Amino acid sequence: MTDFLAHLDTLLLWAFAGCAFVSAALMLVLRQPMRVAIALVSCMVFLGGVYGLLGLHFIAAFQVLIYVGAVMVFMVYAIMLLDPRDESGGEKFSKLLWPGIIGLSLLAEALAVGYWSDLPPAPRGAAGEPFDMIRFSQAFLSEYWLHFELTSVLLLAAVVAALAVIKENRRHDHG
Amino acid sequence: MGLLTLIVVLPLLGFVVNGLLGNRLGKGFVSAVGCGLPAIAFAAAVKCFLDLKGAGWAPIAETAYVWTMVGQDSFEIAFWFDRLTAVMALIVTGVGTLIHVYSTGYMHEDKSYARYFAYLNLFLFFMLLLVLGKSLLVLFVGWEGVGLASYLLIGFWFGDMEKAAAGKKAFIVNRIGDAGFLLGMFVIYSAVGTLDMPHINKAFTSGAAPAVSASLVGILLFIGATGKSAQIPLYVWLPDAMAGPTPVSALIHAATMVTAGVYLVARMSGIYLNAPEASTVIAAVGALTALMAATIALAQDDIKKVLAYSTVSQLGFMFVALGVGAYGVAVFHVYTHAFFKACLFLGAGSVIHAMSGEQDIKKMGGLAKKIPVTFFTFALATAAIAGIPPLSGFFSKDEILWYALASGRGGSWLLLGVMAFTALLTAFYMFRLLWLTFFGKPRMIKEVEHHIHESPPSMTGVLVILAILSAVGGFLSIPHFLEPLVALPAVRPGMDAFHYFVVGGSIAIALAGLVGAAYFFGGDAARAAKVKASFAGAYRVLNNKYYVDELYDRFINRPLLWVSEAVFLKLGDRLLIDGTLNGLASVAQRTAGRLSRVQTGSLHKYAFMVLVGMVASLVWMWRNG
Amino acid sequence: MDKVMMLQVLAASLFALGLTGVIIRRNVLVMLMCMELMLNGVNLSLATFAHTMGSAVGAVLVFLIFVVAAAEIAIAIPIVLLLVRRKRTLDIESYSDLKG
Repeated sequence: MTDFLAHLDTLLLWAFAGCAFVSAALMLVLRQPMRVAIALVSCMVFLGGVYGLLGLHFIAAFQVLIYVGAVMVFMVYAIMLLDPRDESGGEKFSKLLWPGIIGLSLLAEALAVGYWSDLPPAPRGAAGEPFDMIRFSQAFLSEYWLHFELTSVLLLAAVVAALAVIKENRRHDHG
Repeated sequence: MGLLTLIVVLPLLGFVVNGLLGNRLGKGFVSAVGCGLPAIAFAAAVKCFLDLKGAGWAPIAETAYVWTMVGQDSFEIAFWFDRLTAVMALIVTGVGTLIHVYSTGYMHEDKSYARYFAYLNLFLFFMLLLVLGKSLLVLFVGWEGVGLASYLLIGFWFGDMEKAAAGKKAFIVNRIGDAGFLLGMFVIYSAVGTLDMPHINKAFTSGAAPAVSASLVGILLFIGATGKSAQIPLYVWLPDAMAGPTPVSALIHAATMVTAGVYLVARMSGIYLNAPEASTVIAAVGALTALMAATIALAQDDIKKVLAYSTVSQLGFMFVALGVGAYGVAVFHVYTHAFFKACLFLGAGSVIHAMSGEQDIKKMGGLAKKIPVTFFTFALATAAIAGIPPLSGFFSKDEILWYALASGRGGSWLLLGVMAFTALLTAFYMFRLLWLTFFGKPRMIKEVEHHIHESPPSMTGVLVILAILSAVGGFLSIPHFLEPLVALPAVRPGMDAFHYFVVGGSIAIALAGLVGAAYFFGGDAARAAKVKASFAGAYRVLNNKYYVDELYDRFINRPLLWVSEAVFLKLGDRLLIDGTLNGLASVAQRTAGRLSRVQTGSLHKYAFMVLVGMVASLVWMWRNG
Repeated sequence: MDKVMMLQVLAASLFALGLTGVIIRRNVLVMLMCMELMLNGVNLSLATFAHTMGSAVGAVLVFLIFVVAAAEIAIAIPIVLLLVRRKRTLDIESYSDLKG
């Protein structure tokens, strides 16, 4: 039993990883955008689990909060708003289905060849040292403050741009 | 700023002020600036003259600005004021100021009043630069500048295509001469190493002559002079230049600018004294020009055209004097000519003004009583140019005739004969002009006749001043004044005896011209008509100016046009240059057209290319990493 | 297989699947979601390294990517709205107006 518990972490990790992969693969084959969105949400949630198991709890939290809670909810709204208007009702896949799949396999092959050939093993720094929230916060706000500020500027730009686009939208309506 | 610089800069100031602000500030202001600044420049020139006199005639030099240094040679905007400059500067500023004043009356109704005065001031600036420049470089800037001002003023009424074309013709013909001038400058600079005119003269007159043929330099500079001073073969622009406003014709195309060539040769007399061949060419060209222009003037009916050809002819006289080495005499004629020709042109302007723009002397006549001031001044100037003593023209022309015969530097009986005959023609056509314009029965239409009126005082006043000057100007012996600077040529042995013969002859010639004109045009019109009928062919040739324009057109313009069209345009431009460019462009276009197919607009394909690129770079990395 | 290696392979697979999705799907919204998937793949890779090496840099980058993703979606959705308003379709093949 203790054996099982000792391996529970690893087992869960593999299970979450497998589920995330399956969800991601499902995204490519499901027709309805809403289903694709749900597959993506599940993939993200599983990834959040992976982060949690890795001890990166706060990343897991933000994965769920920002990605699932904000981004995907926004996406779902968009789907609900737009999908009924879609009058194409056409093909699911583009003309590049087969080239895409071949490309995918080639990419996979290239990556695999890379991983299992003469790639040097990933460096392991202070191995075993658990991820430290305090250290992260200090690094984030002292060393990477500039990047932090830059992304906030990016966010601001996004807000302004979204407003501009919507305004354009309105003008279009009246015109 | 020195006084010499001030003389030059004042008209420039006028140009800038009038050119920029003239239209806003009203005609009164424009007139005040346009006439006031040249007047101040004249006063400054007088002051300089007095300074020169006070300094015992030692030349005044003044460097306004060092333009650039090349090794040891400095190129500077420097001015030089000696006896010759003094004469020229006083003529330019004096006559210039008078003509500005005259213009306030003549151009009063013109809507481009400010532009006119701006151009006129600009001309004065460049002319003073030309006259006062110490080095050939400054002189050349002025030389080109007066060409520009002349172009602007000939084409002043550019709305009229013909006038605009006349401006272009003047500019282009002058360019041909300028090419010669430039080459001359290059040769001088490479041989002497400086462009300072006092140095050049010294270099050529000192024992060790520079390693260049003085005649070559002389001829090259003379080519420039033929352009500016309207000599054969480049005189054709001057008659057309009469398209400009009449005061402009008086100032630029009679009194000042066209004498620039004479000034140049006189200024560079050091070269010509050592270049007998060049001097012979000058004398021959001058004599031919004088004769040819005088014959053409016989058969012209446009009052300004007659005066234009007379100007060309008088310039020929000046060049004859230069050719025989009598530089002072040439400048003397420049000086007297400035007065009487300016007076004639301005008188013609007054006549045209009175005739509501009519220029054809066949449609004039009987104006003497209606515009008496114009008539008296015009008559006086006519007598002066014809050489009636004791008016100014008599003195200068007599001197030219005398040196044409007696100069030890190329005087001959042949030259005297040609010049004497030309003088006879001059007297004849000038009195013909006088008679047809002012005497006889009025031949104009009633409406024009009704409007005939004397010009305003601003015009007649100037006419009177110029007439007085052309009457008494000859008593100032310029050749004698200039003798320390440019010596008169030695008289050929045994010629002294003929001095009184020449004087008497020239008086007789002038009177003969007067009498001839009076005989043909004073009395019965049939007499002139009979002569004209019996020489119909000759008359037609003369009236058409020897078909020179047509000849130039046939033998220069058309071949040039053909070459430009067939060789340069079709072969060179279209085939070679355009072909190459279009070829390159079409290659680029076709390549781009093919490449642009990559830009399918399909997002999928772009993403697929990203994938391909990623795989490729990964493979490359694994291979080489 | 080592768990870190496994996670890296998963990260690469997610990224490759996302890219393939962008290539083969026609629906604009689905393509957008596939891009999110690609970002998730990258995030996973960074987080794994952060975990393995105990370094803060990876985690910082993950955070920044969150923000960028949010900004991206905030712009992308209105643009899609406008596109659909114009052509009444979510099919990306209809939007080839920038053809060279």
